[in-house]
Amino acid sequence: MATISINGLHLDDLPWIIDYDETKCIQCGKCTAVCSFGAINPVVEKRRKPASGIQKPSFDKILVIKQNVSFSHHCVGCGMCSRVCPNGAIKAVRNFNDRYSVRYRAAKGDSLKKGGRSNLNTEGRTLDKIKIGRISQMTDPSLDAARHKFELKTPFGRVLSADKLALHFENGKMELSKHLPPNRWIYPVIMGDMSIGAISWRMWEAMAIATAYLNEVMGIPVRMCTGEGGIPVRLLKSRYVKYMILQIASGHFGWNRIISAMPDMVEDPAGILIKIGQGAKPGDGGLLMASKVARYVQEIRGVPKADLLSPPTHQGLYSIEESVQKMFLSMNAAFNFRVPVAIKVAASVTSVSVYNNLLRDPYNIVGGFFLDGLAGGTGAAHEISLNHTGHPITSKLRDCYLAAVHQGRQGEIPLFAGGGLGQTGSFAADAFKLICLGANGVFMGRMLLETAGCVGNDTGKCNACNTGLCPAGLATQDVCLTKRLDIDVAAQNIVNYFIATDMELKKLMGPVGNSTLPIGRSDALITVDKHVSNRLDIQYVC
Amino acid sequence: MCRIGAIKSKKYLHPSIALKLMRSQQKGHDNSGFAFVMQDLGGIFGAHKDLPILSMSATVEGSRRAEDILHNLGFTRVLQWSPEINNQKGLKIEPMPTYVFEAFQYPKSHKYATKEEKEELLIDTALLLRRELEKDNSGFMFSFWPDVLTLKEIGSPKDIGTYFGLWEENEELCAKIITAQCRQNTNYDIVRYAAHPFFLEGYTVLANGENTFFEKNRDYQQSLYKGYIGFESDSQCFLYTLHYTNKILNWPVSYYKHTITPLSYEEIEQREDKDVLLRIKASLSHLEINGPNTILGVLPDGEMLCVCDSKKLRPVVIGQDEDTVIMTSEVNGINDIMQNRDVTKDIYPNEKETIIVTNDLTVERWQQ
Amino acid sequence: MNKEVFKIKTLIDNNRMSTQELLQLITSKLEEGYTEFEIEACGQHNIGGSSWAKDRSKELVFKLKNPGQRVGAMALAGTTIYVEGSAPADVGWLNSGAKIVVNGDCGDTAAHCAAGGKIYVSGRVGTRSGALMKHDPKFELPELWVLKNTGSFSFEFMGGGIAVVCGYDCDDMSSVLGSRSCVGMVGGTIYVRGNVEDISDSVDIKELNEEDIIFLSSGMEKFLKNIKKDALYVELSKWENWKKIVPMPSDKKEKKMSVSDFRKNCWIENGIFGDFIKDDFVVYSLPATANGRIRIPKWDKTNCVDCKICLNNCPQNAITEEAKIYSTLEDKCIGCGICSAVCPKHCWNLISNRKEIS
Repeated sequence: MATISINGLHLDDLPWIIDYDETKCIQCGKCTAVCSFGAINPVVEKRRKPASGIQKPSFDKILVIKQNVSFSHHCVGCGMCSRVCPNGAIKAVRNFNDRYSVRYRAAKGDSLKKGGRSNLNTEGRTLDKIKIGRISQMTDPSLDAARHKFELKTPFGRVLSADKLALHFENGKMELSKHLPPNRWIYPVIMGDMSIGAISWRMWEAMAIATAYLNEVMGIPVRMCTGEGGIPVRLLKSRYVKYMILQIASGHFGWNRIISAMPDMVEDPAGILIKIGQGAKPGDGGLLMASKVARYVQEIRGVPKADLLSPPTHQGLYSIEESVQKMFLSMNAAFNFRVPVAIKVAASVTSVSVYNNLLRDPYNIVGGFFLDGLAGGTGAAHEISLNHTGHPITSKLRDCYLAAVHQGRQGEIPLFAGGGLGQTGSFAADAFKLICLGANGVFMGRMLLETAGCVGNDTGKCNACNTGLCPAGLATQDVCLTKRLDIDVAAQNIVNYFIATDMELKKLMGPVGNSTLPIGRSDALITVDKHVSNRLDIQYVC
Repeated sequence: MCRIGAIKSKKYLHPSIALKLMRSQQKGHDNSGFAFVMQDLGGIFGAHKDLPILSMSATVEGSRRAEDILHNLGFTRVLQWSPEINNQKGLKIEPMPTYVFEAFQYPKSHKYATKEEKEELLIDTALLLRRELEKDNSGFMFSFWPDVLTLKEIGSPKDIGTYFGLWEENEELCAKIITAQCRQNTNYDIVRYAAHPFFLEGYTVLANGENTFFEKNRDYQQSLYKGYIGFESDSQCFLYTLHYTNKILNWPVSYYKHTITPLSYEEIEQREDKDVLLRIKASLSHLEINGPNTILGVLPDGEMLCVCDSKKLRPVVIGQDEDTVIMTSEVNGINDIMQNRDVTKDIYPNEKETIIVTNDLTVERWQQ
Repeated sequence: MNKEVFKIKTLIDNNRMSTQELLQLITSKLEEGYTEFEIEACGQHNIGGSSWAKDRSKELVFKLKNPGQRVGAMALAGTTIYVEGSAPADVGWLNSGAKIVVNGDCGDTAAHCAAGGKIYVSGRVGTRSGALMKHDPKFELPELWVLKNTGSFSFEFMGGGIAVVCGYDCDDMSSVLGSRSCVGMVGGTIYVRGNVEDISDSVDIKELNEEDIIFLSSGMEKFLKNIKKDALYVELSKWENWKKIVPMPSDKKEKKMSVSDFRKNCWIENGIFGDFIKDDFVVYSLPATANGRIRIPKWDKTNCVDCKICLNNCPQNAITEEAKIYSTLEDKCIGCGICSAVCPKHCWNLISNRKEIS
């Protein structure tokens, strides 16, 4: 008989308990076959039959499904078992007496890691407290979302103030007379920013296919950011690279391949994004657990199989001035000043200072400011960072926009906001509100995983992206798990989500009577929260 | 709905023509006010075309203070004209105690000043006057510029006409360019400053519409130039953008339309000048207007302008005969005062056009 | 009573009669039995609309100068309205049967929501004209005849009726329907002569058929007679210069390629990871067999007593035995682990099948 100790891990400590009904179970084995976490097993249980008369007590043997109790193989609530059970005999149920996080730390002497978003949800969502309240009723006409023509495009790249365009006249027409910083018009929703390695090759390719499809078939000029794990050379050398924003983070992964491929590239990339920080875990570098460092990931990144911890900062950049002069300059120079170079930082108390500095950059080489709020997702993070660091996106985006207004430079460095958009269901509404508050556009990462089949949520379901055991084939490099993902369906789902979002953005632009993006049109917003009203400078209503 | 009108003629016209132009368009406005700007003046001001004219309505104290300010700056009064007030009973009007229309000689210090230096002095003085009068709400400074006369009043246009004796034509008060509007901005409080036409440094603009991008226009314009103030009406933004693109940036007036209603990206992509247009669209995206509007304007050289919003949501029509061109909201006004014109020459501008009436009264139509 | 015509000037000296005064006066004159009106208007709205003769068998005639907006708005069958000169916006708004002849131009949104009657215009009509015209089968079709052109955004959301745009004297125009016309058009027909461009992509532009020509021939004659331009018939009846615009049937609308076809036909061959990964793009259903299994049972003969408990308990019938050698059928086994659980001698071990792509 096994020893039961007080200090060991017990069923009751686990976050999820398997609710199993043996009377419904037909012992088909499907549940145990699909559990990627090895959290359940078939076992033969002995059942005592009471003695009757002079016979001794006897035992029946029954085949049942039983939950494992271990740190390495425990239920995360992903729900795959109930998905395949023909009789509804099994499901994972949240354990409100959960003591897992204490037990893990006490047993392992290690910090707890997870994927997804913060599960604390203590801040509340400001965006949900805002409504679009200035609806055209009489003074100016609303537009028809389905039938009128709308332009959902935003500049990406450094915008110079009109007096610096140095236009000169030629026969009554104006012409550009000098090289200007690159500037492109793109869809106001940027996708991706999830690295090869963090997500499976099929998911990454599905996003790339969806991006190309949206551009070439649907005419929606979406751009995708590669994330920090490099880009496949085959894509780099294809014409589709023009839809890709290449990311460089502190690990600089994959850039040697990009550099080597440059002479053979047929198109410029859409842009370059220097990642300084991530909203979900600001001040923390990238983290890719060894379980996901597959052979091809090792090659692209140039590393062996090991936990990959990117430093929290770019080595060699210890001030804004250096960042501008060294990093922005190098990345601008990489494609001979033809490609917009933007920066992504985690929203922080200091973000406005950074933005102010960049706006004043005399070289005009900062092409975009991506601000990532604390509700963003991640492939892997220390729970302590995920739950306890960061800054909400809404007020910070607003602060940056108003700082630009104060300088009279709004729009000169396009602002893109992200981090938890769509978390409560309507991505388009979140995007629209942030655009009204001053964003040129927004970006999405985790939402893409959700559209493609992620089973997790923000209240502790699954959130195991860090384990490499993603049951949906999204955040894993395992062959049998990744091949659960239908690349065409995933790409189609992403495409459909964009088409729906596009429709819904128009559904919000129509009523405010705008056919172009209402960037900075905060007069369209109202809130019933006095504090939100004060802080964001939007109308308080009740 | 506001109703607006702009008249440009080879002959000097009395402002009664503006009252008549607006009269039949009455359903479109609500009798809350009447305002006009006269430019290229004849009559008694015709002899002083180079000298700034102060147009102001004020309390007695306000007008005294304004004169003190001008006096202290070295301006000397050359000519004063006051309308003959006909304060009969029952008129729907909220008059101010005094109306000042005075031409001034520049200070001695500016005797040999350049045009630019003089203009700088005038705008600074105008802003100072406005600021001072606003302190105790003692008056309204409408314009202080050569060859320009402005009147804005609250009440029924017909009664305002009667009060100032404007129905009776006379040769004292006349101009070759008259712009007028018969409505206050009734969306909010009735404020004289919110009445079109708006004037700044030789540019006059009046509009019929709603500027749905008012807030972003205003946020951007506030830091562009000292003269961009007030914002009592969202339509002032149209004036400031015209002034900014044409005067400060020194762009041809054809680029005004490209600024306020830029072509779509797809349309620009098809054009030879796409590089320039895309840069303008990006750089001045905060000056885009996106609501319904017809904008009429007068440029410092006396040319008249008309543009509409990109969805052409507001009416406008242009009628002409040999001596005069009229741009106004509804054809009724033109029918009334220009009955014998050739109606097949009437022009209904579309959403992509800029209409320019040159000084020889040629009506040019530029497609965006 | 009374063949007498009621005549009125609405502007005397500087006093203009308001719309309300004028309309109430007309109503009282209708009550008195007047059926014909000659009005020198001064921009008053809604003249000629929602009026009928006291004696319903009689027809109403309005002869107007300088009417304001919405002339003939909500006008009924049995009413005829002549406008001498141009009229501003909303001519024949909600026209429900009247004949309205404008000898001049119309402002914006002429014939907006017209559901009956005929509107004849000897000049042009403005932006959004013909928007939301409709046809109730219990009434005759509404018609809008325009000698010249329309402004942009015309015939938006049109649901029925007929519009005829003759494009006369418009040869230098790139489009006699302006831009972006016919957006949201779901019904009705527009006949048009002259250039048309930048029109909604959910309408069809077709050649005329015989029926169209019969309708146009007789209609054109009446139209030109009404606007007193009979002489133009020869020029305007060259039917080869005409086209008709009708809504596109929904099944004709372009179908987009699926994403799957896009990947197979347009995307980079063998995928962007093709130089690392040989992906067959097969998708495992749950639970998966063969390579899709997370775990694979391995049999160890050492302790086997050939009891066949495993074989009998395997839910997939995936275990076979031959000469006391047990094995699994790859395409049946899902790796559930039941064999291992039930074996009294622990002969079945589950080996992880997890592997990285190579």
